[in-house]
Amino acid sequence: MIAFTIAAASLKRMVRDRVAAFFMVLLPLVVILVIGATAGGPATPRVGVVAAPGPLAAGLAQTLDGTEGLRTSAYGTEQDARDALRRGEVDAVVLIPGDFDARLASGRSVELPLLTAGPTGNAQGAWQAVSAGVARHATAVQAAAFAATEAGGSLSARLPLARALETTVPRVTVQSEPVDGSGSALPAGFGSSAPTMLVLFVFVNSLASGAAMVQTRQLGIHTRVLAAPVPARAIVLGESLCYLGLALLQSALIIAAGALLFGVSWGDPLAAVVLTVVWAAVGTGAGMAGGTVFRTPEQASALGPTIGVAFGMLGGCMWPLEIVPDAVRSLGHLTPHAWAVDAWTALLARGGGLGDILLPLGVLGAFAALLLTFASVRLHRSLTT
Amino acid sequence: MRAAFVIAAKDLRERARDRSAWALGFLAPVAIAGLISFAFGGAETFHADVAVVDQDRGVLAQAFTGFLAGPELASVLTVTPVGDAAEARARVDRGDFGAAVVIPAGFSAAAHGGPVRPLTVVTTVDSPLAGQVTRSIAGSFTAQLDADRLAVATAAAAGAPAGDLAARAAALRLPEQVVRQPSGTRTITGVGYYGPAMGMFFTFFAIGFTARGYFLEQRNGTLDRIAVAPVSPFAVLAGKSLATFAYSAASLGTVCLVTSLVFGADWGPPAAVAVLVAAVALSVVCLTAFVIAVSRTERQADELSAMLAFGLVLVGGNFVFLGAAPEFLRVLALGTPNGWALRAFTDLAGGAGGGSVVVPVLAILVICAVLTTVAGLVHRRAVRR
Repeated sequence: MIAFTIAAASLKRMVRDRVAAFFMVLLPLVVILVIGATAGGPATPRVGVVAAPGPLAAGLAQTLDGTEGLRTSAYGTEQDARDALRRGEVDAVVLIPGDFDARLASGRSVELPLLTAGPTGNAQGAWQAVSAGVARHATAVQAAAFAATEAGGSLSARLPLARALETTVPRVTVQSEPVDGSGSALPAGFGSSAPTMLVLFVFVNSLASGAAMVQTRQLGIHTRVLAAPVPARAIVLGESLCYLGLALLQSALIIAAGALLFGVSWGDPLAAVVLTVVWAAVGTGAGMAGGTVFRTPEQASALGPTIGVAFGMLGGCMWPLEIVPDAVRSLGHLTPHAWAVDAWTALLARGGGLGDILLPLGVLGAFAALLLTFASVRLHRSLTT
Repeated sequence: MRAAFVIAAKDLRERARDRSAWALGFLAPVAIAGLISFAFGGAETFHADVAVVDQDRGVLAQAFTGFLAGPELASVLTVTPVGDAAEARARVDRGDFGAAVVIPAGFSAAAHGGPVRPLTVVTTVDSPLAGQVTRSIAGSFTAQLDADRLAVATAAAAGAPAGDLAARAAALRLPEQVVRQPSGTRTITGVGYYGPAMGMFFTFFAIGFTARGYFLEQRNGTLDRIAVAPVSPFAVLAGKSLATFAYSAASLGTVCLVTSLVFGADWGPPAAVAVLVAAVALSVVCLTAFVIAVSRTERQADELSAMLAFGLVLVGGNFVFLGAAPEFLRVLALGTPNGWALRAFTDLAGGAGGGSVVVPVLAILVICAVLTTVAGLVHRRAVRR
């Protein structure tokens, strides 16, 4: 009972803090929104198109716009398109030459320069998708030019016939056949940003909240409580419950907001609840450990978020660990974050249940036990000596 | 003026004694930038392993396989022949291949007007880009086949004598070709973007340090004691601003230096980088003045500076790669000094000349002027009360 009273008092103090509320509620939601919107769709290559005058050039731009696996943006000048390429706003730029129509009309071929910033994945994807789109556009042009040569007339005169026949002459189609319906990475957009930010912010917030425990020690609150007939273990338990409550409260807020505002499906309810509670226990251990290790509140506020963000980066909260080298992936699994993200991936990407996340849950449980024991022993020792 | 330097030196000495200031200003940004460099090192190029199943064994299928394994695509694909479609599907599912192409029986006959069966590209959600690239390559190849068939049909419909139309069409080459050209732009690496982004993020913590320090001095009477000395209020303001400017510039400059020397980040022409660093440091000074002007207490200043710092870095793009963000986020970023600075740093890292920083620096100066004016007006109103 005493432990609950201590927990409630500490929790009330933390929740009343406006900065804590900002970091607990508003910041995670805004980050989920920003990251979710930025990584909102499949990694479709983006291509800037600098168009030229003429109906054929316009037709090509339109064909590229409708090409599967490509997102196009029109740019008025080559310089604007180059600026966008340099800033990473597009993966490639295709330049339709000014004499595009004239060259094709006179039966000559045209080379379309494609500018890329390097051999990145999306640049390669853009190159191939643009090539396919251009080839698709050139099909009717080639047919019209051939008909003009064989039967007389001009390319522009024969083009409507070629375009009309294009819909009736059978094509060799390319069909896709996905081999599985689930993946090893979280679904793009909010489906990825919400669970990873839950992992990140519960940990960061717990660590930063260590400042409150440092302050409590500095103000002598623990010492005054000990003056009452309160055993030290009740204080340790009370502080643990306070941190656990804080972590669970923040998790619940992120889960609710993720589901209601961003339409995130959190997977199997039982598994999601167990995972959330275990992760909150890890956060509790980290926050309490921080509260006993940091010497000043400033240290906790400064180092807590830095350590939390660094662990989050290593553990796959900022980007999926699938894209990093194997060694970095292994290193990432030294942090609890990677195991939590693995578990969310199993639930959200592969539709798994409790049985599918037993290994990550076990590892996270071990992390929680280790951190809680370490923090409890240190806090107990500081209270009794 | 001497008084200003004395005050600045005193403030810097205080900052140097604070380990949190060292951790946040120098250690954390370098550590985080290094972590990003480590994570993304060597992971920024694209290459896919693709299986090919030839069920046709005709001339056209061989030509297609040769095209896939040819020198033009050697840097993009590694092609492995696989016996049957079931094995290819299983191996794509296992992750041995990013995608597989199944060339159907009768594919070669399509060139001579035979029935057309689709090419199948087997994909997996774990390698969407590999599937996309393979599909585009197959699309480019089949486009030539379609173009030849369409050319024969169009010429015949236009009244060309039948003769050996098909043979002549087979010698055609699509009149539009995509040619890759170097753009003169460098790929923005992880450390190239997040080095300055994280550098600025942690530099913004100086707002809180300075504002807190100001109110602490106000509370303990230091400012009043300075006021009775023959030191003008302007000298106090200049001294405190100078200290903040020096700390911010040193922090961001250190990130620049360390990421350049240790992680090989190319920040661009040093003079332009130095101007940008100075502009960012100036914006930190103006933001600090704004926080001090609108706050009444140390606690308010602390809260406002934390929210301002996180708000600015979120909107300014320091947490997400702005190039991949939606247009509205990119526009929103230009309302912040760090958004402009990040755009300029990205331009420089992408290979733009030193002159490219002129507009961003002017924009930062305008924001600084606005902040200073607002701070001045608020302060004057507060004094009149």
